[in-house]
Amino acid sequence: METNGFLHVEDLILHFRTAAGTVQAVDGVNFQLGRGRTLVIIGESGSGKSSLAKAILRLLPRNVQTYRGKVILNGQDVMPLSEERFRREVRWTKMALVPQAAQNSLNPVLRIEDQVSEPLITHGRVSSKEAAMDKVRQAFRLVGLPVDFLTRYPFELSGGMRQRTAIAMALVTEPDLVLLDEPTSALDVLTQANLMNVLKRIKKEFGTTFVLITHDIATASDLADDVAVMYAGQIVERSSADRFYREPLHPYSKKLMASVPALKQDKQLEFIPGRPPSLINPPKGCRFADRCPARFARCAEDPPPATVDGRQVKCWLYH
Amino acid sequence: MAVSEAPSMQSPSTAGAPAGSAVWRIVRFTLTRFVALFITTVIGVYLTILIANMGGHVDEIRRATIREGLAMYVGMAQEYAHLTPVERRQLVEQLAEVEYKRLGLDQPFIVRSFRYLGNALILNLGRAEQMTSDSGSSQVRNIIMERLAPTLLLTATSFLLLFFVSIFAALALSRRYGSFLDRLSVALAPLSAAPSWFFGIFLILIFAAVLQWLPFGGMVDAPPPPTRLAYFLSLLKHLVLPVGAIVLSSIFIGIYSWRTFFLIYSSEDYVDMARAKGLPSGAIERRYILRPSMPYIVTSFALSLITLWGGSIILERVFNWPGLGRLFYQATQVFDTPIIVGNTIIYAYLLAITVFVLDFVYALVDPRVKVGSEGRSA
Repeated sequence: METNGFLHVEDLILHFRTAAGTVQAVDGVNFQLGRGRTLVIIGESGSGKSSLAKAILRLLPRNVQTYRGKVILNGQDVMPLSEERFRREVRWTKMALVPQAAQNSLNPVLRIEDQVSEPLITHGRVSSKEAAMDKVRQAFRLVGLPVDFLTRYPFELSGGMRQRTAIAMALVTEPDLVLLDEPTSALDVLTQANLMNVLKRIKKEFGTTFVLITHDIATASDLADDVAVMYAGQIVERSSADRFYREPLHPYSKKLMASVPALKQDKQLEFIPGRPPSLINPPKGCRFADRCPARFARCAEDPPPATVDGRQVKCWLYH
Repeated sequence: MAVSEAPSMQSPSTAGAPAGSAVWRIVRFTLTRFVALFITTVIGVYLTILIANMGGHVDEIRRATIREGLAMYVGMAQEYAHLTPVERRQLVEQLAEVEYKRLGLDQPFIVRSFRYLGNALILNLGRAEQMTSDSGSSQVRNIIMERLAPTLLLTATSFLLLFFVSIFAALALSRRYGSFLDRLSVALAPLSAAPSWFFGIFLILIFAAVLQWLPFGGMVDAPPPPTRLAYFLSLLKHLVLPVGAIVLSSIFIGIYSWRTFFLIYSSEDYVDMARAKGLPSGAIERRYILRPSMPYIVTSFALSLITLWGGSIILERVFNWPGLGRLFYQATQVFDTPIIVGNTIIYAYLLAITVFVLDFVYALVDPRVKVGSEGRSA
């Protein structure tokens, strides 16, 4: 999986300028992802995982201070591309996004069909409006939405339907990579399960590569091939999903897994004492050290990633 | 596919409603809005009548004025020179009674106020008390209609200029957030604290008095140019300074507030989404920033038009522009109540019509607002 890298992210850095100081939202993130696989990025709120998605997609807010690194997609580094070339060659043709809150991500005054067909027409993927509508109807059937919803406006759809619409919109141009930024966080469990099934089927049928960003470790396990754990703007552990869910390595990952409830088990749910560090002035050494039960003297220095049978973990315990 | 048929797919109830009920709904909505606005207008006009007459006190002033005029007339006239002072006083009272009757002043004010209201609402405003139109008519309707066109010309010109310039400048600035021009627009915004006539005085001073490029005031040259083209050019020349004053007084705050408005609207999630979709920035601005904010733009458009109209009284005075504003000013100087009331009715009707039209335009530009809809499902 590491060798057949379809998506490489190298030393990706995204810092924001705020009144209080520089927020190091994404601070040197590295990972690779093979074609057709699904990487789940797990992290608490405020760990920088949504900023990571924005950095990969180059959806930057106005207050960016530093933005650098490499995002290599299919062998091409897309970071040096000009804004216009990036728009035409990468946006939605190579990378698409399923946003977190689909109710706010659809334009309230445009019909669903116009919004979903827009990328096809903008990127010249279809010869006519009718051909575009054919593709849109296909995508709608794929995600299990009735096609007569196409002429509706977003406010006429329920939350689950809007999220499906967002997925259909992401798939309509058949991009190489789909980023899902907490696609199910705002939905009830039944709708969540439905959507995960839709994603699983798409993955199986089309071999789409997904990056799923979530805090919902349990739901994500369904789809995950690889797992990356994010803490305070950095990735602290990367592993294949099988091994990660069985036996996480990093003390933070262990604590995280221990906080997931399991059915009919007597285990006491754990929580991690303390709070994640502020991203404005993160600690010099290991960023988890303050809350870590296994902390020792070396933790005052920044740990380089260690490799433990094909898994990467950023912790002094494994050196 | 089969698994994913979610249980949440009921169809919105509005879709199945028969067409007949839709027509009835629109008719009912129209009637309700019409009645509500009409009542508001009637109350507004009646209050104006009360205030313009100072609750009937103006009648006392007018009676006294009539008696004073008659006393002067009787005192000066040769034919009454032989009368004793008591007889003269009686004669004055007699003549005054006739005059009161002619003007309707013999009836109590409260009765007259309601009759006045009824006539006012159908714009049957009768005669002005002292003023006449330039063509010599003393009919209030003629006087007001004569002044309506110049005011519409002045306000509509400056308004359209103001509106489109500020919207497009603001859109351009919101694209360049934090640039020099953007910060300049923020810094200039307080200039709009000064009213238009204030700028007008300076413009007259610079362009009419010192540079002598443009006329001091008025609407056309005197005598009016004979050919249509020359008349138009003369009109244009006279229009530059007052329009300039109005635009200068509102453009900075306009650009500033629209810029802020667009900045807020361009940080919506769906704008980010449109960027992620790779739409060109022009399409994003048109479909994702302007379109969703259109209802607010339309509202502000309509309401500021009314403010501008009502606010040009002093400006028209400064530029000697023969419009409703100057008419209003002149009428208040000489207590010409019918003119004041007539002016106000025009404003009130304008406001009501604007609000009425606005409701429908709203439904056109925003699919979430459906005219007269009640039980729609979201």
